[in-house]
Amino acid sequence: MVETGLLIQTIVNGLLLGGIYVTVGVGFSLAFGVLEVVDFAVGEYVMLGAILGGLAAPLLGSEGVFVIPFVLVGFFVLGFFVQPLIHHVTTGDRPQPLLMGLVFTFGLATFFRGTVLTVLGPNNRDVPSSLLQGSLTVPSVGIFPYVRAATAVFGVVALAAFMYYLYNTKGGMAIRAIAEDRTNARLMGIKINRYQSIAYGSYAALTAAAGVFIGMVFTANPGMGLQYTAFAFFMVVLAGMGYLPGVILSGIVLGLTQSLTAVYASSQVVLLVLFALIYVVLLVSPAGILGKGEWAS
Amino acid sequence: MSEKTTDVLSTRLGDVPVWLVVLVAVVVLVALPMALGAFWTRIGLGALMWIGLAQSWNMIGGYAGYLDFGHGAYFGIGAFATGAVMVTFGLPFLAGFVVAAAVAAVIAYLVAVPTLRLTGAYFAIATWALAEAFKQLALNLDITGGTFGLSLPTAAGSFGLPVGELSTSLFYYLMLALCLATIAVTYVVFERSEFGFRVKALRDDEDAAESLGIDTTRVKRQVYVLSCAIAALFGSVHAYFITFIHPNDVLAAIITDQMVIMALLGGLGTITGPIIGGILVFLLQRLSSVFLGQSTIYLPLIGVLIMIVVLFAPSGVVGILRGEVDRTDIRNNARELAEKFDLL
Repeated sequence: MVETGLLIQTIVNGLLLGGIYVTVGVGFSLAFGVLEVVDFAVGEYVMLGAILGGLAAPLLGSEGVFVIPFVLVGFFVLGFFVQPLIHHVTTGDRPQPLLMGLVFTFGLATFFRGTVLTVLGPNNRDVPSSLLQGSLTVPSVGIFPYVRAATAVFGVVALAAFMYYLYNTKGGMAIRAIAEDRTNARLMGIKINRYQSIAYGSYAALTAAAGVFIGMVFTANPGMGLQYTAFAFFMVVLAGMGYLPGVILSGIVLGLTQSLTAVYASSQVVLLVLFALIYVVLLVSPAGILGKGEWAS
Repeated sequence: MSEKTTDVLSTRLGDVPVWLVVLVAVVVLVALPMALGAFWTRIGLGALMWIGLAQSWNMIGGYAGYLDFGHGAYFGIGAFATGAVMVTFGLPFLAGFVVAAAVAAVIAYLVAVPTLRLTGAYFAIATWALAEAFKQLALNLDITGGTFGLSLPTAAGSFGLPVGELSTSLFYYLMLALCLATIAVTYVVFERSEFGFRVKALRDDEDAAESLGIDTTRVKRQVYVLSCAIAALFGSVHAYFITFIHPNDVLAAIITDQMVIMALLGGLGTITGPIIGGILVFLLQRLSSVFLGQSTIYLPLIGVLIMIVVLFAPSGVVGILRGEVDRTDIRNNARELAEKFDLL
């Protein structure tokens, strides 16, 4: 018999985790929409964020939260200048440009992971946070550790800000126009290089910032990126490629699946369960569970 | 891919006929262990294995245009199938060798039926996820030794044929035979048969190929099963040679990464591409671990290499040798790239 208290606590944990995964998934989905590239490096941005959190937090009074603004700015700049490379690979006169884009980001991911491994070694690092120690106990529901709660709040706030930019500003409109049709957007006088770079930069910044929080909740490790790449894939596959609202649902499904599997089966089989789910979804409904995504090719 | 259908083997290398080049190469390779010591034989053995693996990836990734980011899984499946047959059932290596190919072919077929309905990025993701899942599975199963790994028998009688002592040269010749056979099979199947034209047609335009009456689903499935079974054979020999296999080694993602970069660097969809790429990347790996001490520095090098090749010479070294990509192309490429940095 399943104990109700544990079950509720597990669901709460899952929902809190889902908040941060949504941030990663939305950025990834947007990068796909705008650049038409499936970014294999997504998990490595999470890893870089978490590792930088671990490195920089001790310098900032053992406070991981203070690292966030630096990470946001730093990765925006990094993404801003990585984008032209991806754009160059996916356009122009070369065979199978989209697959080449995929291979390119695969190389980028290997480069990031390998560099961190070489420079820092394979050890785990904690991302300390003194502000977010302790937890809030809600009677008859369960415990909300501040770290996880803050992570979920960050996820929701970041997502809201991102959505506001996309849907209520001129720059956001430009980005959506590019996602709709790059050539036409260019004909309408949109500086596609700049706005694509802004989109990719924001995605990298958000993902890395999410990485800092993930580092605070779990731990930072050079090899962790692969798992989050898998998670990002999982979310967009479940949501349907390029369909942003679906990502919110699938991020929550992911958080719940991870949390429930880890408690009721074993944390070792989490990936296995997720892969089985991806597999079934891809085969049964390649446009996502809501059926509103694009068929990527 | 827009490259000419003429393959490099049939183009002339100066005035020397190709068959002579191949003959000399084979003689040199056969004589290598006698001329050089055990150390170099091991290096040669590794290079041969990677050339063969890259070639097997080239079948599905280069000729059929389906990026299989989980191909390394079949290397591991072959290794563990051999290990399980030898350890659990006490059978000789040759039985394990055959079983490895059979098991991989069956799994590949079961995977291919649903997965090859997906195209492009989705196929890449699905196979990549599958490989990770296989690794998790191997870490949790008993027959693979779980997290402890598996030790294979090393006794002289474990081969299945009276070959005497299990020396490095024996494994070298085994790998040489397998590698040459793989290249020969690739050449015959993809460059010299009607089947090869079907595969290339579906790569260049799947809908058009379908409309010409090619059963693309069937052709893709056959290519996938063939390439996976070959990867498993290499895994089988590797397992017997290395004698200890662990899921974190033989099912590591880096195995797929290496196959991809070797085929890509050499030139996708060509016979010579994976051979050239395999040798270059394998030497890079060896040299970096010898001269730089750390073996992980090899990872960022590979990453940068992949990016440079994709950016400036998508048809690889073979493309450069054939004159498809020359200095002006690279310069134009760099100029176009610079234009895209006009961001503000």
